[in-house]
Amino acid sequence: MHNRVDKFREIASREMQNELSRAFLLMLSLGAPIMRQIGMSSFPDPDCAEAYGRAIRAEAIERMPELLEEFEKNAEASGAKVIWAKDAGEANAAVLKIAKERNISYVTKGKSMVTEETGLNEHLIENGVDVFESDLGEVITQMLGRLPFHIVGPALNVPPGEISDIFLKKGIIKEPTDIFLKKGIIKEPTENPVELGRAARVFLREKFRRLEMGIVGVNMAVAETGTIINVENEGNIRMNKSSPKTLVAIMSLEKVVPTMTDALHMARILSRNCTGQKLTGYVSMDTGPKKPGEIDGPEELFIIIVDNGRSEIYRDVKVREILRCIRCGACLNTCPVYSKIGGYPYGFSYSGPMGQIINPMLLGIGSTADLYRACTLCGACKNICPAGIDHPSLLLEYRARQKGQGNMPVFERMTATAASVAMASGSLWSIGAKCARPLLNSFAKDGYIKNMPLVAKGWFACRDLRAMPRKTFREMWKELNKSSADKKESI
Amino acid sequence: MNSPSRDEILSRLKSARKIAPTERPAAPVLSERALNSGQMLERFTAELAAQTGTTYTAKGVQDARRILSEIAAAEGFKKVITAGIDTHGVDIKSWGREGAVNVLTHEELKDRESLREAAFTADAGITFADFAVAETGTIGIVFDKDQPRLASIAPPVHIAIVPVEKLYPVYEDVIEKVFADKNKIPGHFAFITGPSATADIQAIGFKGMHGPVKVMVIFIVNGEK
Repeated sequence: MHNRVDKFREIASREMQNELSRAFLLMLSLGAPIMRQIGMSSFPDPDCAEAYGRAIRAEAIERMPELLEEFEKNAEASGAKVIWAKDAGEANAAVLKIAKERNISYVTKGKSMVTEETGLNEHLIENGVDVFESDLGEVITQMLGRLPFHIVGPALNVPPGEISDIFLKKGIIKEPTDIFLKKGIIKEPTENPVELGRAARVFLREKFRRLEMGIVGVNMAVAETGTIINVENEGNIRMNKSSPKTLVAIMSLEKVVPTMTDALHMARILSRNCTGQKLTGYVSMDTGPKKPGEIDGPEELFIIIVDNGRSEIYRDVKVREILRCIRCGACLNTCPVYSKIGGYPYGFSYSGPMGQIINPMLLGIGSTADLYRACTLCGACKNICPAGIDHPSLLLEYRARQKGQGNMPVFERMTATAASVAMASGSLWSIGAKCARPLLNSFAKDGYIKNMPLVAKGWFACRDLRAMPRKTFREMWKELNKSSADKKESI
Repeated sequence: MNSPSRDEILSRLKSARKIAPTERPAAPVLSERALNSGQMLERFTAELAAQTGTTYTAKGVQDARRILSEIAAAEGFKKVITAGIDTHGVDIKSWGREGAVNVLTHEELKDRESLREAAFTADAGITFADFAVAETGTIGIVFDKDQPRLASIAPPVHIAIVPVEKLYPVYEDVIEKVFADKNKIPGHFAFITGPSATADIQAIGFKGMHGPVKVMVIFIVNGEK
């Protein structure tokens, strides 16, 4: 996938002007955490359930090398073919090879973030294999050629009118072919979200019905049984797993969990954190291809295990914990930055706090500074994270590494150095404050500094600073002590 | 196929510094395990209803056939698809003859093409579910040679028939059984909770995205097996 992380500021400023998105994000950031809270409180002991889930993720990552080998052994024993891919190129090439060897003209796909990351769709289409995304949100983002706005609902923000236009253009809204149209449930082009969804259903049913090869992601890979588990509501993944002769499941290294029991607990946790549901509509578990005597289901199941930078992340113990992420999206809904700018500025498959910790490690610290710096370190993501990831500490670590690489702007480095010297010494600080006061206050208007010239200009572009008061706290404190001492003396 | 990549990835992972995982805290209590059978049925019904699904209880297989006929009349079924081996003894084939519903069993549909054709054009799929879970109004189906996958996902209505003795408190009770014998793990197992659904456009939810629009569960109570 071509990333656009370098355009973070530009896209964020643009998105902040998008009133529809802003209104939608407000609704999302108010509603989604409440839904999650309701879901979590259905556990007899929510804190205990959360702590247990975090422990499973921590253990799964620490034991990842052995668990992957165990998973591979059991998956192969069940008849699946396991393929390891070092990077995006290898993963895409492996899928293309499978498709080409079987003369596949088109594939349908379940939502899979790792294939967004590797740019699988583009690779297949360029090489003559058509790809139809089948998750409703992904159908829309694919047609509009956009990044996911939100990991759970990639096109949640797109107005129905825009979807209607693109559906007409791509021929999704047309002649009756399905039971819904025959029964008169939908008749013609519409901006009604339900009818648009039904139109996509009609369109994709024809694709599923003649499908020769399906592609799905993996939510969990169970080491003890070699089973892949998918968690979904729409049923598109079960269509992909049931209808075609060939099934390709693509997973990144960190999807592995030790046992089925662990997977069940994580399914409970994932559902509640994703959508506030206690369990998603479908939780499907595949262990190898179909068995002898079965008519439907895949004759061949390929499981592609993709590294794409993760083994390096694993070796980097300070950041290893980012592999615990289960891609639930709870951190997006609670983030004060995401809920102002939405998913597009993050410029890659992963957005919000999840993207801020993952993208820099996948794309490099050097090119992603805006991502890990667009954060107030408020800690809302860390508090809500069902995988137990400490996002603020990671972001600080990235900032420190950036400084270590000498990538920091000169003025910022000078300011930071000056501040650290002054802050280390009380007397230097008070001298500094005294010197800065008249300088700063010369720009003040009505008690606020709204602009300053030269290098400081950027800082004030979206912030105001209160004018410095006549006296500092220390000066006031001194006077207060002195006057109370005077009083005592006078008594 | 590409073992150099496998070896490279694994050796990189194995050369990383090991950190012993901290001990796990106590596993959460599964409070549903305290439910008696009446409470389980109540919980199942309420949870499934929250997903717009309907629960019926049939007093034996004859009663199940009566309920099926009611549903078929209300929904206007002309063609249904079901499993050939009727594990719960309802005999859908003869039920269909009585009610003029065309019943296609997967055994009659010998290959993938004809099964797909039938599943994508049927008005309903009737499955013989292996398990039900009270926790969330969920049914569990083992897909094997006796139970085609598409019958539960392609038609717009899914009716699952399940003996009430197969209703368990939590998912773990089911998984312990399905995955007990490592050599007999089914190729496909699914927990299904209500109809397929989405809220991908403007967070407006509706049922019936790619799979069934309606899900109905018929429990057979006092059932002759």
